[in-house]
Parts: sequence; C-alpha cells; structure tokens
Amino acid sequence: MSDRGRTVTREVLHSLTLNTEPWLSCDDCFELMDGYVERKLADPGYVDPVMATHLDACSACAEEAESLYALVSAGSRGI
Amino acid sequence: MTIVGRGGSAPGPQVTETERDPDDWVRALSLEGPEHDIALRRLHALLVRAARHQVWRMRPMLPGAGPEQIEELADQAADEAMVALLGKLSTFQGRSRFTTWAYKFAILQAATEVRSQAWRSRQVVLDDSHVTVDLGPSVEEYAEAADLARAATCAIEQALTPHQRRIMLALLVDDVPIDVLAERLGTNRNALYKTLHDARVRVRAHLAASGHLQPVRRVGEI
Repeated sequence: MSDRGRTVTREVLHSLTLNTEPWLSCDDCFELMDGYVERKLADPGYVDPVMATHLDACSACAEEAESLYALVSAGSRGI
Repeated sequence: MTIVGRGGSAPGPQVTETERDPDDWVRALSLEGPEHDIALRRLHALLVRAARHQVWRMRPMLPGAGPEQIEELADQAADEAMVALLGKLSTFQGRSRFTTWAYKFAILQAATEVRSQAWRSRQVVLDDSHVTVDLGPSVEEYAEAADLARAATCAIEQALTPHQRRIMLALLVDDVPIDVLAERLGTNRNALYKTLHDARVRVRAHLAASGHLQPVRRVGEI
C-alpha cells in the first residue's frame, strides 16, 4: 500500500463498470478469433455477442483481433 | 529505450519462388520428407509476415527502436509463434482457413513481445491506495456527477478485495498491458481477465444497489 493516489476519469469509470457478461476467457477468445474474423469479413453485419463483449472489455484481445482482421482483409484484396 | 535481442534466434529458412503453399497444411506439416520441409518454410514465411504486420502496427510503443530492431523483434516473434503453432497443429479443425489460423499465433506473439519491450524499463506499481473519481462535469451536471463520483469511489473501495482493486487499477487506471502484468506477477492473461471480470461484476452490483446503475437483467427476465 502506498500513498499514491489515482484519479478515475469518466472514460475510465465506463471501463470499470462495463458489463462483461456473458463470460469469455482470453484463451477462448483466441480459439475463436480466426473464425470470427473470417465471418466478419464475409458479412460486416455479423454479430457475435459473446466475442463482442469480450473484445469491448479486453484491449489486448481487441488489438489482436483488429490486427488479424486487417491482415486477412489486406490479403483478400491482394495487398 | 533499447531493444535487446535475446540471441539464439536463427534466421528462418528461405522460401524459394517455385514453392507453393500445400493444399493440406496439416498433412504436409505432419509428414516427413521434402513436402514437410517446404510446408515448414512456407509456414515460417506466413508467420514472419503476420509478426511484422503486428510489430509495425504497434511501432509507436517502441519510440527508440530502429527498423532493424523492429524486424529482429518480428522475426523472433515468428520463431516463437512457429513453435506454439506446431504444438497445437492437431487442434486445427478447419473452422477458418489455415492461413488465418496461423496468422493469429504470430499476431499474439508479436503483440506480447512489443508490450513486453515497451514496458521493459518501466516499473509496475501494484497498490490499492485511495482513488479519486473526477468526472469533469459541466456546471449543470455537477451535482449528479459528484454523487456518481462518490458512489464509484465507495464501490471501488468497499466492494473489491485488495487483490481485485490492485489488478483493476493497474489494468484500467494505470494502463499496464494485461500480458505485462501477467508476466510480472507470474500468472497469465486468463487469470487476470477473470479477476478483472469479477471486480467489474462487484462494482456494478454495488452501484446498482445504491441506485446509480441499472441492474443487469438476465436472459428471460422482464
């Protein structure tokens, strides 16, 4: 314990109170990520509520999913 | 910041122009012989491509690193991703193309390496000291925001265990990357995300009980 105080901003408070149900672990997110990305590429309107909830709540998994989407998308466009 | 190579990471095998990706990656990677060697080279090239893509995406996190160091980091991540992927080859079920499945191993490894490098010389301080919630309200919103700020402070301080509070504050207030925190604590991303999930549930429940947040309805509830 230290005397270092922290300030929680409105944006951080939003993150602190995110509803992260239904539960999905980071490992399960990784397992599903390739299929999820291909479905999103095939149908931009595709929604997977469980994946979407996890990606909203976990910035590391979100970065990796966005990156995979960008990479596969570029490949399919011949970039 | 200095990027320090770990050494011992041999450059990947060279892919020749005449080689092509196998039709059945899993079979080619499982067999012995020339087809296997070609598949390994093609796979390594795929992983290098994905790792470079990831490291360059996260380049702003490594302000002192030059192109050579960036490439070295990507190659190292690709090598490690190759080991991880081959260890899980039997779990590939064809729910996506093999290349998409392979890319994610390199992306995960490269992202983890970049975050680790970026935080290499930074200290992670875990504490559960007093938190101030400042919602920066406009004049009209002041009373409402001040009330919510008090309730949120109370929720963080009373609803969480010290461990949950330390993890939640490190991840969400101090912005420590989850895999960096996992590495420092000798745990893994899954365990920390579960702690964060449980903490969020408790904060939400506390705020709902004090009338500051709508309770979550379960499926089937009206």
